[in-house]
Amino acid sequence: MSYKKFDQTDLEAIKNIVKDEERILYAKNINEEYSHDELGGASSYPDVVVKATSAEEISEIMKYAYENNIPVTPRGAGTGLVGSSVAIEHGIMIDSSLMNHILELDEENLTITVEPGVLLMELAAYVEDHDFFYPPDPGEKSATIGGNISTNAGGMRAVKYGVTRDYVRGLEVVLPNGKIVEFGGKVVKNSSGYSLKDLMIGSEGTLGFITKATLKLLPLPKKAISLLIPFKTLKEAIDTVPLIIKSKAIPTAIEFMQREVIIDAEEYLGKKFPDSQSDAYLLLKFDGNSTEEIEADYDKVAKLCLEAGAIDVLISDTEEREESIWKARGAFLEAIKGSTTDMDEVDMVVPRNKVNEMVEYLHNLHNEVDIRIKSFGHAGDGNLHSYILKDDLSQEEFEKRMAAAMEKIYEKAAQLGGKVSGEHGIGFAKKPYLRESLDPETIELMSGIKKAFDPKNILNPHKVFQG
Amino acid sequence: MDILVCIKQVPASNKVEVDPVTGVLLRNGADSKMNPYDLYALETALKIREEVGGTISVISMGPPQAMTVIREAFAMGVDRGALLSDRRFGGADVLATSYTIAQGIKKMGDFDLILCGKQTTDGDTAQVGSEVSEWLNIPSVSNVKKISKVESDAITIEMDLPEELEIAKVQYPCLLSVDKDIFQPRLPSYVKKMDTADREIEVYSLDDMEDKDETHYGLNGSPTQVKRIFPPTANDHHEVWDGDGSEVADKLFDMITDMKFI
Amino acid sequence: MPKLVIHQEKVEDPQVLVDICPFGAMEEKDGKLSINAACKMCRLCVKKGPAGAVEYVEDEKKEEIDKSQWNGIAVYVDHVDGEIHPVTYELIGKARELASKINHPVYALFMGNNIEDKAEELLHYGVDKVFVYDFPELARFKIESYTSVFEDFIKKHQPCAILTGATTVGRQLAPRVAARMKTGLTADCTILEMDENTDLSQIRPAFGGNIMAHILTPNNRPQMATVRYKVMNAPERTEETHGEIIPCAIDKEKIKAHVDVLDIVKKEPEKFIESADVLVVAGRGIKKEEDLAMIKELAELLDGQVACTRPLAEAGWVEAKCQVGLSGRTVRPKLIITCGVSGAIQFVAGMDHSDCIVSINTDEKAPIFKTAHYCLVGDVYDIVPKLIEKIKAAKGA
Repeated sequence: MSYKKFDQTDLEAIKNIVKDEERILYAKNINEEYSHDELGGASSYPDVVVKATSAEEISEIMKYAYENNIPVTPRGAGTGLVGSSVAIEHGIMIDSSLMNHILELDEENLTITVEPGVLLMELAAYVEDHDFFYPPDPGEKSATIGGNISTNAGGMRAVKYGVTRDYVRGLEVVLPNGKIVEFGGKVVKNSSGYSLKDLMIGSEGTLGFITKATLKLLPLPKKAISLLIPFKTLKEAIDTVPLIIKSKAIPTAIEFMQREVIIDAEEYLGKKFPDSQSDAYLLLKFDGNSTEEIEADYDKVAKLCLEAGAIDVLISDTEEREESIWKARGAFLEAIKGSTTDMDEVDMVVPRNKVNEMVEYLHNLHNEVDIRIKSFGHAGDGNLHSYILKDDLSQEEFEKRMAAAMEKIYEKAAQLGGKVSGEHGIGFAKKPYLRESLDPETIELMSGIKKAFDPKNILNPHKVFQG
Repeated sequence: MDILVCIKQVPASNKVEVDPVTGVLLRNGADSKMNPYDLYALETALKIREEVGGTISVISMGPPQAMTVIREAFAMGVDRGALLSDRRFGGADVLATSYTIAQGIKKMGDFDLILCGKQTTDGDTAQVGSEVSEWLNIPSVSNVKKISKVESDAITIEMDLPEELEIAKVQYPCLLSVDKDIFQPRLPSYVKKMDTADREIEVYSLDDMEDKDETHYGLNGSPTQVKRIFPPTANDHHEVWDGDGSEVADKLFDMITDMKFI
Repeated sequence: MPKLVIHQEKVEDPQVLVDICPFGAMEEKDGKLSINAACKMCRLCVKKGPAGAVEYVEDEKKEEIDKSQWNGIAVYVDHVDGEIHPVTYELIGKARELASKINHPVYALFMGNNIEDKAEELLHYGVDKVFVYDFPELARFKIESYTSVFEDFIKKHQPCAILTGATTVGRQLAPRVAARMKTGLTADCTILEMDENTDLSQIRPAFGGNIMAHILTPNNRPQMATVRYKVMNAPERTEETHGEIIPCAIDKEKIKAHVDVLDIVKKEPEKFIESADVLVVAGRGIKKEEDLAMIKELAELLDGQVACTRPLAEAGWVEAKCQVGLSGRTVRPKLIITCGVSGAIQFVAGMDHSDCIVSINTDEKAPIFKTAHYCLVGDVYDIVPKLIEKIKAAKGA
């Protein structure tokens, strides 16, 4: 692929469109953070960063880029983990963080319409203030909604409420040629042709630039109670998960965690976890409108867990208790990061009844590849997060062993009927693994779709499946 | 070793507001919970019992609904619980509250050690524990941040003073108010909750007390009166200073001096 | 005993009264209202309910005390080993103000061991009488002996009001004394005013500071209040002294205690940023790791601690446990000075409840200025060293 090198003329053209130099960062003014995302595997500076404020502005920039064959990389808060928002081919980066307005709360249709730069935590707080609930709950609360949609982010409540895709009703998108289009809408049902909206979701900024999103809301559950369930072994804990799912009680979350990761979190947060009697825990969350309702709901599950060998079932029913558990759970990623020198992650997802096999495989992997691996994850939806840690290894040795470990992990996941990524996406970092996991026809179809949207391949090149 | 822990039911959220026009307290929902500071006292009791054995009882004062927090204490491992509940206890300030609790404790029996949390999240006074110890005429120590040694006749603790830690040995019977974070409180157990579902909670009214003089309880026994409640003025101050660096530094210096940080 | 009586016939809609009660003490059963033990006798149902529906019935009037028998505003001298805690001077300042309104003297109550010479110092702050109980048994604070001394002082001198610092000692001693004297005590007062009739108006926060309460002690003496350090203003120290020192005696039997102080250990400096009163936060505006030295120096001068934003923790310049924000710690200090912090939402969410937020940033459009109470548009490298110099000069003086 060859693109036009961004130069002074292009800069003038961009200034002409944006008409506010404060929102244009060029050369030395570009902060280091724009060169990478949260995990930093890929690093490359854009030539220019534009902090856009409207769809029209983005449309003008895209049009100019399209005509002049300049690559464009969309970016939200930069909290991705696979390099989706890194400008591999340099060129123009469009930062959506100033497009952070909540446009409309439609109480009659139970929808909210937002700009893409609204942060997940801002959205959650806003709707809660109005007694509504936006269920997707990825760990990174300072990610943008645009980013969440682009990776089809999942999070902790997927077991009961599903993922971001299930809450996107409509999108306004700027296409690579600069045209502004709308996919979907406020409608609840829609059988009107191909669902381009659904193609956009999870496309990691390769098909179009999301400039507006209409999201579905639910009434706010008034109360949540968690159960922290210690088991003698992790195997026993995870073997219980299919039983819970089969029991038809629907927790919002089923997580598993191990003592060693909890200790990392305790150190990171400087706060003790409320239980230490076991090495392996399941963490379940239930929501509802009253304590009584939730108690009736979890009673069956509590009994079932005890029958399955749980040591006890501990009840977390106040703000302080919830915080002592979930703050630790939320800090796992940062805590593991803090416990080593560098790391990379695997975000595979397997069918729920295969979680145990996968976890055991991960646990024993160090016998084959000499590298430290820590895992935790969403036992209830089969999405596991494994972190491969550098520790004292040389960069070269780390990369070698990590590649070997990843290769094996993805192979095992595929054997179990799993997928490469559950919620973090493919981006730049996981491309080889995705290519390996898909048959050539599927890649061919993806390629055709990309061409239909972006014939000149200027929008976020080298991502997802492209070489 | 017989330990008693004083616990209280408080609103689940202390995000209360006062209607600026009517002066009415607006509570955010009717949900309630155990005073979070009491959990540290409970955990301390449980840790001591694990070490030296004995019994743990709890006492609380409030409407019948406050039995919920006693049940919760059972689910955390407590053996016995009593609730002081009577309309005539209503409107009690610190003095009348502590007197009522002290009367209740006398009714329950003799204890070696009485534990309290640092304060409650609704009243915030941190005074009731000390006053209870006075009514019972036993020694008391507040700001206990560590239990160093438990012996058959005394307990050795660390008291947190601003600049130093005082290590003191206190003879039983005594009352300790423990600091937040002395131990991380455990979670209530479902198994214990089921096991104790039928356990009786003793309920005492004014008529069960040794002192039956109504003027010592409730509003009548309270020297302080709340004249009015009102919302605090929020710090929504917003000031922009620009200009010369030394000018700004001078202004900042004056401000933090006024605020007594220098 | 005063009580609330419901006149059912005057209640049209029972729900109205149920809703008025903030404590959930109004219960409706078969259309009839009753009051349960949750009642706090706040009487909002009387004041806000339908006229005459709930009546406050007072029985025989309590005997009124003779307030003229109680004279003087006393301050408990808070100290450790004779080192007087500065809250004491602040309270003396307040006591003078309250006393002047009703022409009462100001007393100081000082108990300890070998403190006679230290008592002199108090005479520079406008105290009329310093009552000194100087005994070896009182060397360290012990609740039983200190309470007995306090009781002895109150019984002999009958002060109208007593102010105690809300220190570790004051917070346990004052309630113990109040219970012994069977009088009222109001904790953590932020405002104190004296009424003509010698009633002390006490205003204090409750519910974690979400409401304020105005409290009176109308028919008991002494009136007792605790006040936190740095709430009131200390008077200037005068060169000349005023007032007299009065040595006091007490029966040794009364100052026996069941607490033995075994050891006193100097405390390690506070390690957690969550418990610091003052935080100085380094942000990306700090360009080199060496430059953190000035942030540390400022923090030390203010008896505070250094905190940082995520990029600095990630760069390894500052320990991860000092990172403020959603992915770090949540802090609520009395003063927070952010230096070169842009104010990403993930940072702000971890500190926006701080009492006083001062932010220094060169960019006047920095988002942190939306949250800050004082927005200092300028260069950290310019302002901070100058501030450090000023503080050092002031401390040296």
